[in-house]
Amino acid sequence: MDRSCEDIKEILVDYADGQLSQSESNKIAEHLAECEHCREMLEALRRSLELAEVVWEDGLAEAKEIRAPSPRKARKIRWPRYAAVAAGILLMLTTSIIWRALVRPAEKEISFAEIERRITEAGTAARLLAAAELLAEYPEAEAIVKEQYRYIVETYPETVAAAQAKLKIQ
Amino acid sequence: MNEINPDFAAKAYQAASEQSSKQKLDIFLAELGRLKRIVAGLGLSAQDGEDVLQDVSIQALKQSGKYQSREDSVRWLIKVTVNRCLMEHRRRRSFRRRACEMLKRRSENKTNSNRTDEKVIDAEELEIVRESLQELDDSLLGPTILRYFCDLNSKEVGQILGLKASTVRSRLREARMILAKRLLERGVKP
Repeated sequence: MDRSCEDIKEILVDYADGQLSQSESNKIAEHLAECEHCREMLEALRRSLELAEVVWEDGLAEAKEIRAPSPRKARKIRWPRYAAVAAGILLMLTTSIIWRALVRPAEKEISFAEIERRITEAGTAARLLAAAELLAEYPEAEAIVKEQYRYIVETYPETVAAAQAKLKIQ
Repeated sequence: MNEINPDFAAKAYQAASEQSSKQKLDIFLAELGRLKRIVAGLGLSAQDGEDVLQDVSIQALKQSGKYQSREDSVRWLIKVTVNRCLMEHRRRRSFRRRACEMLKRRSENKTNSNRTDEKVIDAEELEIVRESLQELDDSLLGPTILRYFCDLNSKEVGQILGLKASTVRSRLREARMILAKRLLERGVKP
């Protein structure tokens, strides 16, 4: 391999890809006519690309089976995260309500039915709040989210979730 | 307990689908064929590819309104898909099917389609190229697939990957020379 082979090697890929000007291509063609080593390299360049395309096409046959992401599926809802938040709020509320009911009964008598109602409301409000916060990530849903916050505040005014929703509206 | 607004999810979906989000999704679906080529070019399985494209579609929805032109959106989509696929490819480092399996499937397809114009593929050569692609550095593999499998020119590849066209060209040269030299080194004379 002489000096001109080294120079040509630099642009042999461009030659194979048809990226060179006519005059440059002619020079390369002249060299190739005389140099077996560069002819082999050019053929290897072409052959390796053909084979690479076989590898890629093989993958494509499988990739064609990929289903288009559906908007509903695309909206990956991280329920475990929000459920954990809701469960945390619910636990705090339950503890607080039971403590108040048992430790300080003299201040205000609360029946177990009332405790159960408050726990249920707190849980529902917490779930609604978690769902609204999930949706708040999408700017397009701003109006619906606000409506949902208002719903929580109006329907479950005594809950922690309502207090948080109130802050969000402000 | 049944007080959750039953229309909540439907309304949410409707709202999120409006305007720019819908446009993003439309662009994504229009480009899906090209994105699948990227997935295939980087050797991901259908399952991994589907996960990657799901993630990309979610990211696309979150990008609503960020890009002005369709061209910018398409470039962004391709870039994110290439990066996500390269991450998966780096982790698994594998074009899973070996040459003999590829050739078997290819010959089955050929029989089904009755095509006679296909060139004969040598299993040894194919295996060398498959291994070489597998070992190719990410910085070379990404541009190579976009240029030769997705039919983008060097300038377009550069715009997508944030590189100069000249840098793309030099990486393509390097990648092509590696593949060609491996064939020659292993004693295969094309």
